Amino acid sequence: MANWIPLWLHRLSSPPTFYRFAGALRPWAMALAVLCGIIGLYGGLVLAPADYQQGDAYRIIFIHVPSAWMSMFIYAVMGVSAFIALVWRIKLAEVVAMESAPIGAAFTFITLVTGSLWGKPMWGTWWTWDARLTSELVLLFLYLGVIGLYHAFEDRRQGARAAAFLAIIGIINVPIVHFSVNWWNTLHQGSTVNIFGHSKISWDMLWPLLAMTLATKFYYAASLFRRAQTDLLDLESGKDWVRKIAESEADR
Amino acid sequence: MTVAAAAVPLLEARALSFYRQDEPVFAPLDFQLHAGELALVEGDNGSGKTTLLRMLAGLLHVAAGELHWRGAPLQRDACAGEILFLGHQLGLKTDLSPRENLRIAAGLCGCREGASVEDVLAAIGLRGYEDEPVRRLSAGQRKRAALARLLLLPATLWLLDEPYANLDRHGIALVNGLLENHTAAGGAALVTSHGAVSFHGGEPRHIRMHS
Amino acid sequence: MSPRLAGACIAVLRRDLVLAWRRRSDIAMPVLYALIVTMLFPFALGPEDSLLQRIAGGVILVTILLAMLLALDAMFASDIEDGSLEQLMLAPQPLALMLGMKILAHWLTTALPLIVIAPLLAAMLHLPAAVIPVLLLALLLVTPLISLFGGVLVALTAGTRRSGMLLALMLLPLCVPALIFAAGAVAAAQQGLPWLAPISWLAAVLVLAVVLAPLACAAALRIALDC
Repeated sequence: MANWIPLWLHRLSSPPTFYRFAGALRPWAMALAVLCGIIGLYGGLVLAPADYQQGDAYRIIFIHVPSAWMSMFIYAVMGVSAFIALVWRIKLAEVVAMESAPIGAAFTFITLVTGSLWGKPMWGTWWTWDARLTSELVLLFLYLGVIGLYHAFEDRRQGARAAAFLAIIGIINVPIVHFSVNWWNTLHQGSTVNIFGHSKISWDMLWPLLAMTLATKFYYAASLFRRAQTDLLDLESGKDWVRKIAESEADR
Repeated sequence: MTVAAAAVPLLEARALSFYRQDEPVFAPLDFQLHAGELALVEGDNGSGKTTLLRMLAGLLHVAAGELHWRGAPLQRDACAGEILFLGHQLGLKTDLSPRENLRIAAGLCGCREGASVEDVLAAIGLRGYEDEPVRRLSAGQRKRAALARLLLLPATLWLLDEPYANLDRHGIALVNGLLENHTAAGGAALVTSHGAVSFHGGEPRHIRMHS
Repeated sequence: MSPRLAGACIAVLRRDLVLAWRRRSDIAMPVLYALIVTMLFPFALGPEDSLLQRIAGGVILVTILLAMLLALDAMFASDIEDGSLEQLMLAPQPLALMLGMKILAHWLTTALPLIVIAPLLAAMLHLPAAVIPVLLLALLLVTPLISLFGGVLVALTAGTRRSGMLLALMLLPLCVPALIFAAGAVAAAQQGLPWLAPISWLAAVLVLAVVLAPLACAAALRIALDC
């Protein structure tokens, strides 16, 4: 295979280049996140009709579903950059993986909280040991494990690489947990919850959902760029390009 | 020594350096070590002597520069067993006796031809302490028990981090003797020490470390 | 396997077993812990037979999992402290295999005693005698899995200040599936249902883990120690 991927990664992954790249894109990502968020929330909370079964309570999906998607999407991003970090020892990949983890953990937490808020009126209970919920909870623990391992090391790069390895182990674990809890549920004949049921979601509800999904994606990008920038400044604090930035900040 | 000088060096470092938190631990190093040579690594505390030795042993990754072993880029599998590293941590189990410790080392790395655990322990000056748990030995005796590995295991390159620490005058002479025999037999050694070292076999090479 | 390699494996295994034997009291600790924890359940829940019977399988499995977790921290700690691990890594032997031997030794010294007292734990909670063979079978499959997963994670924390809580946070989510299948087998046996399926799943995962975990353990160790 052509080696343009490592080459391209190599160029972008030089910290000063990425710092500038992230700095230039961040305001746009943030603006788009706010814009999509306003459109999505207005569409979801005001324009979309109430559900014929669930009434207005269903509207929490405009928060819940996008964060659930993000919790998995961010884990995938973290896993891919963890893999790159381990194979090519690229500093930026370590930074992206480690700075994604807290954002992903936050989205996972939001998913769990909104899910249980929604569950109370819908199923009459805050929590049920359904495969989807349990996998989400295990996902939260995996995120926390990655964050914890990262901070346990004195050397941050070493910590990042160890945590990256854990993240990759976790990717294998989540589907296994999902499968095993499903098996467990049939054994215990627990309540099987079908979140979306048979209903086809109508367009009036779908477009705000998509807008919210875009909003969370852009928010993630903006937040990640900012965090990566801060992290790079810290990691490279002795280098010339950081000194230049510090000087230009001081002049202002 | 003169014969080996023309041949391919056993170990060669080109612009070797190591970074901790993106700070270089020592300035880029270039050196060659041929079979039959002894090199003394000199530098102040914190100049990266231990780091260098750990890197050469393969216990730290090579951050920048190149390492060559017998002319080819150094790979862990290619030189496994040929490099013997003795660090600050002696690698002795304190609940086991010197004899048991050496048996494990021999089981892992194999034995030199004609060397036996008993002879080695006697030669290193631990006669009568063979079956005493290491935790009851003095610091100097522990050091000797660790040094016994040099005599027992078949290795070409010795990396010795402060081999003279904790040793009495006889012990120091013993280490010097070991080094002389090893280099005479075509082995090589890299030694760090802050004390002055005298060898009968002429002045050793010096590698200076700068931070 | 060449005789040199076999010799090295035996040397590592023997060393760890001898060391464990010289510190026998450490072997007794997880066993005592499991006994005491199991004893607490009847006090907390009441001595009602039917209730204890229902929870017995799960309680024993979780107790043994936690007892093993307590002992896991020590798997590489002393070897790192005294430099033996460096010597092991420098030896001209496949590191994964040597670490596999260390994990095996750890299993023999911590999990096996726990399995031996498992019937006693089962008796304390009035688990029907007919279910005990299934419980033991499940334990024989699940404890090596915990040792193997634990080995990888302990290797990953090798460069850190030791922290047992972090290890728990990392290990317990990994053990969820294994626990589900083991407890499922015991529960099925108790209800008179076929229990072979979950046991077979566990066995299949164990076979995979025996092959992959030592390799992962070696990789994790090299990452954690930065070489």
